[in-house]
Amino acid sequence: MNAVVFDVALTAYIAAAAAALGSFFWRREDLARFASLLTVAGWVCHTGAIVLRWVDLRRVPVTTLAESVSVLIWVAVLFGLWIEYRYGMTMFGAFFLPAILALGLGLPTGLRGLALEPQSQSGWAVVHVALILVGLAALVLNFGSAVMYVLQERQIKAKRRGVFYYGLPALETLDHLTLVTLTVGFPFLTVGLLLGVIQAGRSWASPLAGDPLSIFSLVMWLVYAATLSGRAVGRWRGRRAAYFAIAGFCVLLLTLGAGALFHGRHGS
Amino acid sequence: MINTVFVAGLSHRSAPIEIREQLALEDDKLREVLQDIAGRGVCSELMILSTCNRVEVYGVAEVPGEAHGAAFRRMTAQRGMDFHALEPLIYTKTGADAILHAFRVAASLDSMVLGEPQILGQVKDAFALAQSCRVVGPTLHALMSQAFAVAKRVRTETEIGRFAVSVSFAAVELARKIFGSLDGKTVLLIGAGEMGELAARHLQDQGTLPVYVANRTWSRAQELARDLAGTAVRYEDFRPMMAEVDIVITSTAAPEPIIRVGDVEAALRARHERPLFFIDIAVPRNVEPAVNDLDNAFCYDVDDLRSVVESNMRERQREAHRGEILVEREVGKFAERLKDLEVVPTIVSLREKLEEIRRGEVARALGRLPGADEATKQALETLSQAIVNKVLHGPTVKLRDSSRAGHGRRWVEVISEMFGLAPKSPTEPPP
Repeated sequence: MNAVVFDVALTAYIAAAAAALGSFFWRREDLARFASLLTVAGWVCHTGAIVLRWVDLRRVPVTTLAESVSVLIWVAVLFGLWIEYRYGMTMFGAFFLPAILALGLGLPTGLRGLALEPQSQSGWAVVHVALILVGLAALVLNFGSAVMYVLQERQIKAKRRGVFYYGLPALETLDHLTLVTLTVGFPFLTVGLLLGVIQAGRSWASPLAGDPLSIFSLVMWLVYAATLSGRAVGRWRGRRAAYFAIAGFCVLLLTLGAGALFHGRHGS
Repeated sequence: MINTVFVAGLSHRSAPIEIREQLALEDDKLREVLQDIAGRGVCSELMILSTCNRVEVYGVAEVPGEAHGAAFRRMTAQRGMDFHALEPLIYTKTGADAILHAFRVAASLDSMVLGEPQILGQVKDAFALAQSCRVVGPTLHALMSQAFAVAKRVRTETEIGRFAVSVSFAAVELARKIFGSLDGKTVLLIGAGEMGELAARHLQDQGTLPVYVANRTWSRAQELARDLAGTAVRYEDFRPMMAEVDIVITSTAAPEPIIRVGDVEAALRARHERPLFFIDIAVPRNVEPAVNDLDNAFCYDVDDLRSVVESNMRERQREAHRGEILVEREVGKFAERLKDLEVVPTIVSLREKLEEIRRGEVARALGRLPGADEATKQALETLSQAIVNKVLHGPTVKLRDSSRAGHGRRWVEVISEMFGLAPKSPTEPPP
């Protein structure tokens, strides 16, 4: 049942992404509003799916990778909608929804296939995953705003007026948004990962060895840490910060991919 | 009836500026012309739009050619121009074409600079003038109210007026694309060129932007700073200033760049890479073009800004196309309404007539029934109203249908004759 509801939600997200991209390329405000409505509808269904699963399994549904990604998407969509509203960026959907779909398209099969083997049920494990998920959700949006920044910056530098120019917000707004999403996401990610390291230190011989998910997570954390400290010393603004945000997201995808493909100690 | 609506005129599309200038009339002269032409009885309604880009006569007349011919003859005579020389330049439109034209003009789809906002105000003024001369009837009233509504829709539902079509506004628009809100941003103006000053003024209009002025001649810098309510700074100090300000406008007569890549690099370091926007209005250029290649530095020269204007023009054309579609739909709807407008007065007076008869007859019947109770009175009322409504139904439907089919006038005459309705000229505009 929850898988069906989840499929409905995912379909709504896909349709919303298509509408958002359409609104962006053809600059149609009405399509953008439609996309936002679809996103909200999808998110409501998604909430339903998560709750149903929670009730079905009588545990917090963040213990398998598929469940975690599902919750990650749920949080990211919520953040994304808030940003759309807060910054009046009607075209934001065209950037964060595809990023979310990049995460989510493996799920319909994954949810069913991997659903029944929950692992470690300890409270700390749930907190570990939940914190990381909130962090990652912010970083997905970090990626969306960075892509917008790069596109807009290129057009202003090139002195050309492409389709993007008129639809995209101001550079400073986008740079600010990249910074906000990073500063929100990074602490969650850091604390979440630290909790993981502590638990691993207790139960595994070595915290990292032989676990691809952990190794990729560390790389991802390093990329984001570098971006944030570059920003903090005042040199990495604008384009450079945006490139790092995009690189960080690529590692994020690899990390999740590693979690899905390799059977490390996180299981799959 | 729709075919009695006409527009005739000349505009930037049909006539050279010299002729338009010569023909354009001031308000009091227009008043005379309006009253004179309407007084001759060649038209039932009239309005003249006279701007530097167009002189147009809108009106309602049985024979449109006669009406606008008279109007233009009168106007050319007023100006001592030869009407026959002007005649080939005049375009005329009637019926749906005239309605379309009125909508397009008001919506600025026929303007020289597409989407320029002044024309709507000019049309409104022309309409108000005609109203004050009492030469506007229900048709022009309906036409113009609808034209204003359509113009508003075009402006809000398309982006026809959104993008800058002048160099200095293009600079402002770019600043907004870089900084978002311009509130609190600071401007450094180097040199005292007129274009630079204009750009600074446009920027100031966008928010509270402190302006610093640097010029080789100290007194000129002070003077300009006073004009712009800004602060004068020594010319030698403009480089350190670049660490503080956000927008630098250059318009000096220096023969070679005064701002080099090295200067900007130093400034960016000092300002922690906060973006810096150069608007280089000078020719030859004051800012080395390679500055634009630095991260967080943006540099636009006059040619760049001109190409922005060109692409904005194309953008307006694109939006204008959407406006055209919207306008065409509205013309269709309005033509239908106009047809109803023709028969509505007859329907109203027919109803009034029958209602009058009904009331009289009910009163007489009640007079013969002194002991009638409330129920009887009520029954009489209901009965008589039902009869009136049933009788009215046929003619009403016939009138509406025939007007939509284009021969409403004939049926207006037939029905007025049959029911003995007084010939009533339409006075009230439709809702």
